[in-house]
Amino acid sequence: MPTTTIAVNQDVLAAKKQRAKEQRQLFTTQGTFVINLVSSPGAGKTSLLQATARYWQNRFRVGVLVGDLATDRDAGRLRPYVPVEQLTTGGACHLELSLVQQGLSRLPQQQYDFLFIENIGNLVCPASHDLGEHVRVVVLSTTEGDDKPGKYPKMFRTSQAMVISKSDLLPYVPFSVEAAIQDARLIQPDLVTILTSSTRDEGLQDWCQFLEDARKEMLASRDADAAEQLTASEKSVA
Amino acid sequence: MHEESLIRSLLRQVEELAQQHHARAVDEIEVEVGPLSGVEPLLLQDAFERLKDEFSWPRAELSVLQVGLDVLCQSCQSESQLKDFRFVCHQCGSTSLKIIRGDAFRLLNVSMQVDDSFNGKPQATATQHSTDACGLPLNEQTSHP
Repeated sequence: MPTTTIAVNQDVLAAKKQRAKEQRQLFTTQGTFVINLVSSPGAGKTSLLQATARYWQNRFRVGVLVGDLATDRDAGRLRPYVPVEQLTTGGACHLELSLVQQGLSRLPQQQYDFLFIENIGNLVCPASHDLGEHVRVVVLSTTEGDDKPGKYPKMFRTSQAMVISKSDLLPYVPFSVEAAIQDARLIQPDLVTILTSSTRDEGLQDWCQFLEDARKEMLASRDADAAEQLTASEKSVA
Repeated sequence: MHEESLIRSLLRQVEELAQQHHARAVDEIEVEVGPLSGVEPLLLQDAFERLKDEFSWPRAELSVLQVGLDVLCQSCQSESQLKDFRFVCHQCGSTSLKIIRGDAFRLLNVSMQVDDSFNGKPQATATQHSTDACGLPLNEQTSHP
C-alpha cells in the first residue's frame, strides 16, 4: 500500500483563533471592550475588578465572566457590584472561547461597555488561548517577585498591559517596580504598565483611564471602518 | 497543563485529514514547536501517548520538530534568531520585532498509507487542508487589532 505524506503546515489552533477573531469583531460591533485578565493565583484580579467597579460606579455598563477550577467564590465577591457569571472549568487550567461564549449567553443583560474575563490563575496555559478579547492584561503582585516576567515570557509577550498590584505592600517586600518593568519590556517593549493598590484605591484612575482610552480607540476605529465601507458602497452604486 | 487539549485538537484534525484521503493507516504526525509555543515537547509526547488509544490510528507516532525563535525587524527588515527572550534586533537595536517562527504549535506533515484506488487523492467534496483554511496570519499568536 503506498505511503503518502500530506503537507499541512498549519497552526493547530488556527480554527480556534479564527473563531476568536470573529467573536472580537462581534464585541467591537456591539461597542463592548473586552479585557482578558490573567495572573498567577492570588495576584489580586478579583480585588482589582471590585475596585474598578466601585471606581466607575454607574458610569459604564460592566459585566464580568470569572473562571475558576471550583467554587463560585470570586463571582460571589463581585456580585454586589456588577452582573457576573461564573465559568467553572472543573480542573482545566485555562479558559477557552467556547466556555466564554456559554457564559455570555447566561449573562443577564446583553449590552456592556466593558466586559472583563477573569481567567484561571496561571501564567502558562492561558497565554496560548485567544478569548476574543481586545486587550490581555497581566496582573503581577508585588509579593510574587520582580523576576516573574522573564520566567513566563509567553504570557508577558502576548499581553498589552501589566498591572503591578498590591503597591501598598512595597515597603515590606523585596520588589523593585523598575526591575519588573525593565524585565517585562525586554520581552514586550510596548507593554503599558500601571501600579495599583486595590485596598487603598491607588492607581485606579490610571487603570480606568487606560481602559476608557482603549475603548474610545476601538469605537473610533470601528466607526472609521464603517464610514469607509459606506463610501465604498456608495461609489460602487454610482 | 494544556498539552492534552492541544493534542485533542491535533488528533481531530488528523482524523479529518485521514478520512479525506481514505487512509488505511496513519504512520507519523510531524509537528513543530518553538520557544514561545507555550508547549513543552516532553509533556506533548506524554499527552499523545495517553490519548492515542482514543484515536483511530493508535500506532501512529508523533514527531516533534523543535525550532528557534525567528524574528523580522520592522525597522531594518533583517531576520534573526533570538537566543533569549530579549526582543532587540541584533542588527540595528530596534525593539520593533515581529515573530515569524517559534511561537506556534503547528501541524507540519502527516504520513499515511492510502488505498491504491484512491492514490492519496482527497475526496472531491472535502476541503483541502494543505492551504490555510482560515487565511490567518499564523505567527504572533495573539496580535490584537
